[in-house]
Amino acid sequence: MSGSPRRAIPWLALWAVAVYALLFAPILVIVLFSFNAPQGRFNLLWQGFTLANWLHPLAVPELVQAFVSSLRLALAAAALATVLGGGMALALARRRRRADGWIELLLVLPLTSPEIVLGTALLSLFVQADVPMGFGTLLLSHSLFCLSYAALTLQARLSGFDWSLEEAAEDLGASPLQTFLRVTLPRLAPGLLAALLLSFSLSFDDYVVTLFTGGATLTFPLYIAGSFQREIPPQIHVLSTLVLALSLALLALSLRRGPGAPGAQEAPENPPPLR
Amino acid sequence: MSGSRRSWGPEVSWLLLAPGLAWLLGLFVLPLLGLLPLSLAEPLGRFSLRFRFTGRIDNYSEVLQHYGPLLLRSLLVAGLATALALLISYPLACFIAFRGGRWRPLLTGLVVIPFFTASLVRMIGWTTLLADRGPLLGLLRGLGLVMPLEVLGLLHDGRLLNTTPAVVGGLAYNAVPFLVLPLVVTLQRVGVSLLEAAADLQAGPWITLRRVIWPLSKPGLAAGLTLSLVPTVGDVINPQMLGGPNDRLIGNALQNLVLVQRQLPRSAALTVVLMALLALLVLFGLRGGSRDDLPLP
Amino acid sequence: MPRFPLPPEPPRRLPRRTVLRRLALSAGGALALPGLLACGRDGGRGRGSGATGGGGGEGKGPLVISNWPLYIDPSREGVPGSVERFERATGIAVRYSEDQNDAAAFFAKIQPELEAGRTLPQDLFVTTYWMAQRLIDLGWLEPLPLAEVPNRRHLNAELRKPSWDPSERFSLPWQSGISGIAYNLEATGRELQDVDDLFDPKLRGRVGFLTEMRDSIGLLMLADGQDIRRPTYGAAEGAFRRLEQAKADGQIRAFTGNDYQDDLLSGNFAACVAWSGDVAQLALEQPKLRFVVPRSGGLLWADVMVMPRGARHRREAAAWMNFVYDPPEAARIAAAVHYISPVQGVQTILAADPATARLSASPLLFPDAAMRERLQVFGPLSAGEEARFDERFATIVGA
Repeated sequence: MSGSPRRAIPWLALWAVAVYALLFAPILVIVLFSFNAPQGRFNLLWQGFTLANWLHPLAVPELVQAFVSSLRLALAAAALATVLGGGMALALARRRRRADGWIELLLVLPLTSPEIVLGTALLSLFVQADVPMGFGTLLLSHSLFCLSYAALTLQARLSGFDWSLEEAAEDLGASPLQTFLRVTLPRLAPGLLAALLLSFSLSFDDYVVTLFTGGATLTFPLYIAGSFQREIPPQIHVLSTLVLALSLALLALSLRRGPGAPGAQEAPENPPPLR
Repeated sequence: MSGSRRSWGPEVSWLLLAPGLAWLLGLFVLPLLGLLPLSLAEPLGRFSLRFRFTGRIDNYSEVLQHYGPLLLRSLLVAGLATALALLISYPLACFIAFRGGRWRPLLTGLVVIPFFTASLVRMIGWTTLLADRGPLLGLLRGLGLVMPLEVLGLLHDGRLLNTTPAVVGGLAYNAVPFLVLPLVVTLQRVGVSLLEAAADLQAGPWITLRRVIWPLSKPGLAAGLTLSLVPTVGDVINPQMLGGPNDRLIGNALQNLVLVQRQLPRSAALTVVLMALLALLVLFGLRGGSRDDLPLP
Repeated sequence: MPRFPLPPEPPRRLPRRTVLRRLALSAGGALALPGLLACGRDGGRGRGSGATGGGGGEGKGPLVISNWPLYIDPSREGVPGSVERFERATGIAVRYSEDQNDAAAFFAKIQPELEAGRTLPQDLFVTTYWMAQRLIDLGWLEPLPLAEVPNRRHLNAELRKPSWDPSERFSLPWQSGISGIAYNLEATGRELQDVDDLFDPKLRGRVGFLTEMRDSIGLLMLADGQDIRRPTYGAAEGAFRRLEQAKADGQIRAFTGNDYQDDLLSGNFAACVAWSGDVAQLALEQPKLRFVVPRSGGLLWADVMVMPRGARHRREAAAWMNFVYDPPEAARIAAAVHYISPVQGVQTILAADPATARLSASPLLFPDAAMRERLQVFGPLSAGEEARFDERFATIVGA
């Protein structure tokens, strides 16, 4: 039998392995170098193995402060974006209205703007409105660009959502609010977690918008950008590895299939959700 | 009191929409539209970011004259990087979609996991890997590949950092997940059964690729390419950290215009031009796809 | 920002109760963490903090000082640094942070605040001379309480009535330095002597320049025979062209800020424009590193202490400035940072201590008359000229 797709497979598999290696290369370097004992101020050359960095992860005060700022900002922005975006996603899923097309377009638009454009526009806004730039403006900026992602994530999870459980609850006498809190919300939990996680990562990682609208606030990415000029302590690597591990754990959680799972665009070979 | 859809009145619906809409309108649409009058204005003071609207069209001509070539070069570099990313991503997406089976979610997840670290942290990783005394260059020297790669233009003066290939590579790396995921979704719809049908009809792998897989993947591909081109064009970090002084892109120029030269009106003009170009590309590219092609959890 | 997508297919279902519990835990954690972390907001006191009771003065809270990194005598291994000694001697609490990285970036942060009439958190910061001049011209600096800085009398005569602050009311020098050429002897294979050596084709792709416009262009202007004490855009044309050509030719590997130090050590740069104190420090680690003031001339510059308008701890700031101008203290700082101290008598103090005697003989810390002849300070630029310089330089550097 000539040329069945199976003949091409070894190459495909090899290619896949190579690409995965490429994708993970810098990550592995980061994890590895968290165990490095650098001479001098820049942790860029392997010098020797040590556990000291892991035993003293908080040894660089300015780094810790920047890290904590980023954490607080990302958590707040993610929560805000998920609440705002979740509301929009729910509204879009429950009722159709004529404006839906426009609303969805509005949600997608921020995805088509480079960060540098967003940063410039927001900076101009805050300066004109004479708002002092700091944590507050950062929260506004971050929650904005996370909003689209959170809303679209939840919208995807809500499409194909089976509302009959909610109908049953209401037929049994529950008020819409009760139904929402005790039936819908728990079913949406994995989706909400995914939206939170996505927003958190986007915010934690943000550089350009923070540079433009953060005022004097120092976040983790800003610290790292400056670190090339001062010192690159291995604690950066340690903290990054911790964040990565945490994100992985939460990602695994959010991938659990619940009733609110994105099953709509399934290929036929996967079994449909049980009812 | 009957179906659940009717128990949510329109008021509740709009109540849920209102805050998010307010956010989008107030923090996105309004400031972006505000760039237009800003681009026709003049700064109030030497270093001030405040402005006075004067209808100064010259901002555009000055900016186009000064940054026009840089803008075009940025689009070219971004296009090159996206093409490279596509080259890397397409076979991987095929592998995941057709041979992944029940491991598909895990394999797809693995593509995304590296991007859970901050991009600047990954940059430290790349700087370490590509350093002059780093492992990759050491390996290349050991294998005697430095000279041939230099001839091919992939190395510059015997180094990997502060070169254009490094910038293109870094940009392509960042674009890979944007391409792999929509491709996997789209290729899944092709379905293995279609491939088996093609095989039954005696089609070789290349023909199958060209006549079956590629055409059917185009919508998702269009969406992915457009989504990845946008952040790539405006990228600031890759040129700064991995490139030399000739490798700066439009994002760096805009950053300098605003933060160092304090020329907000002229940067607004340049931004408007950039957005116009990108809007054209996006409209052109997203025409073929649908919202289902957007790769979201 | 890596706007990455997450995979669309979760594989298994989980009992609702478990998911609910997990969600509650993570949500609870998410809500509690900001509260917990809020306690850490004012943490990070930088080096040398060992606060004793707060001092008096207009405002409550510590004296907030912002400086460049590694620009002071730090506390290490039980030996107190300048900040700690100051706190012990005066009882004034200090929050010292090393967040000055780039003068332009710092200006971008403070400009909207000062323009709107708001006060900055800092009481005192160290910035570069031309930035101080810009701030003076904008009227954003508080006149220094010089009456409470009697040690000002120790100030080096050459730093009196500087071009950036002729009235001497708004700034006091922190350290001075020289911009010249640093090179790695192993990499270049020979001694370098002048700016022309940076353009040696043998060093192609291994040369660095600074993103600091006045240093890069100033050195080239001097090589061009121009007078940089009264610089004009026209006089700089030759310098700009030379730099543009070198960039196009690939002669220059990168334009850097402080990060040239690592590039020099690792060999990424064979030679670069550099600052004297940095190289003096680096040469302790790597003896093959040299610094040379070009034959055509080098730049003399100063970083100065200034007080933003509305600063709340003026008397405490005065106490600090008085403290660091005390010659023994100034000597300690000079020994730690290897730059040119603004205070007289430091050389004698360093010579007296065998541990620092070698430093007292270093021409980089104590340039003699012959070297001073070859040094010039980059003069003031009018607003219009500065804009043209900055724009052209930005195009070269590419930001």
